Amino acid sequence: MGIKIDALKCINCMACEMACSYHRDDGFAFLSACIVVYRAREKQDYFGVLLKEEEFLKVARPEGLEVNRIGEAADPNKKADASVKPMLLREGCDLCEDMDDYGPMCKAICPADAITLE
Amino acid sequence: MEYLSTGKILVIDLATSKIEETALDESLVSEKIGGAGITKHLCEKYLNDDPIVIGTGLLTGTTCPASAGGLITAKSPVTGKLCHCPIIYKVGIEIKFSGYDYIVVKGVSDNPVYLWIHDGVADISDASGIWGKDVWESTDSLRKLMGDDLIQTMVIGKAGENRSDYAQICYNYWSSPDRFGLGKLFGSKKLKGLAFRGMGLIEVADHENFVRRSLEILKEIKTNDFMTKKGIAEIASAIGEAGIKEWLEPIVHRHSADYFTPYATNTAVFFDEDPKRVEESKVAEPGVLISDVPALLAFKKLGLSAEDTGRALKACAKYGIDPAAVAGLSGKSSLKEIVDSFDGLSGTVALKGKGIFSPWCPLKPIFNDFGLSGDAAEAEAWWERRQAVAMIFGIQPIFSVMCPELSEENMLELAGIGTELDLTQEILDKVVADLLK
Repeated sequence: MGIKIDALKCINCMACEMACSYHRDDGFAFLSACIVVYRAREKQDYFGVLLKEEEFLKVARPEGLEVNRIGEAADPNKKADASVKPMLLREGCDLCEDMDDYGPMCKAICPADAITLE
Repeated sequence: MEYLSTGKILVIDLATSKIEETALDESLVSEKIGGAGITKHLCEKYLNDDPIVIGTGLLTGTTCPASAGGLITAKSPVTGKLCHCPIIYKVGIEIKFSGYDYIVVKGVSDNPVYLWIHDGVADISDASGIWGKDVWESTDSLRKLMGDDLIQTMVIGKAGENRSDYAQICYNYWSSPDRFGLGKLFGSKKLKGLAFRGMGLIEVADHENFVRRSLEILKEIKTNDFMTKKGIAEIASAIGEAGIKEWLEPIVHRHSADYFTPYATNTAVFFDEDPKRVEESKVAEPGVLISDVPALLAFKKLGLSAEDTGRALKACAKYGIDPAAVAGLSGKSSLKEIVDSFDGLSGTVALKGKGIFSPWCPLKPIFNDFGLSGDAAEAEAWWERRQAVAMIFGIQPIFSVMCPELSEENMLELAGIGTELDLTQEILDKVVADLLK
């Protein structure tokens, strides 16, 4: 079981980031989230979602899903995003295993239903 | 103030370059709740220094749906009234997470400066390198200088530097709800803008209950029919503008939302790139992000095409001028004439009601009727109260006029759970009455 992200449904609201970090910190922050909206190309209106799992960094781009094994060299043809580096230092997704009432918090809070379980 | 707050107020004197931090007292929150209740209090406290007060709502940046909002409170240099300009997109949350609930900017600087607020630190920096640049160049420069593309900005362009009555404070690259000429106020203080970035943590008194109630409210919101819709054209259509969806659709790229706002109130349009392109654009500046329904409609009524409207909105955002004022006062009907009119505008922009909230937010309910009878005076009073409450708690103003589930009762309940303060309807009524008097 894992998180599935439909980047075309995403509305770039960052609620998933907040909920994920809340799961780690028991307060409101963005620092610990293992799921983030990448939004650095603001003028180009290009946004999607990054998810760090234990072994993989999933990049849900509007044009499709990209899965990178952590530790392998990045594709030199892809422009790096400011969101990526801090992500690699964070804990991987544990599907909010301690949040019995909700399941993964990012899924529970996403207003656009862009996040599901697969 | 321990919860839902950074507990800090920043006071910056541009005249002396002195920066002070003061504590946000719990007693003040108990009396004024937050947001506009406290920014107005701070404006009155520093009245003799012509202050600009930037603030966030008590619920801003939490799991309360649509808690994206912040506000700028100041005396409008155009109307002379104390006004409250919404802060939208992701700028409001960045202010709170940068370490301050409220920022008072007083005095006048001798030379152009910008303020860099980050992780509980505030700096007054020389803006001579960006004074003269347009809004887009200024935000690009600040992000490049700090090496962080996620920095959120509020900056003025040439309209503000030239002290135009129609100058806006813009957010990042985009036009804002500023219908009050606050860009002129920045310009007169030689304040080019502010840049925010922060990774703070906001504590919650009863975090489990707060999140549980937030998700329950979200679940109620998701039963609304408007959740099947997105974007600015749907809003314009809902307030009675026929044909807007078909007119705009050919240039629509994507819709996006302010922080945790369930309805995507912003629409990006592309006119220098295929709008249907899903991959990252190869063009550096393919279009513009639109959040201003009245400005969009005003350009359409001048007879502009959707593409030329997009180009006009982009030109306004770069120049830092209120697009609704340009459309309403230029008297021009071609793109070139409109853009050439920026420096020669004259006339008065009508503000609704008491003129303290921005008519950037549609003046009537969207998608839901909120039980209103259709009486104009009742609708105006409802709209002003709804704006006041949104700006006390930090709720996205447009979402507040479409979503009955985000009721005053629900906001008060979340604020009480989050702070352990006894925040009652009576206190809220008193704060709203003070704002509207």
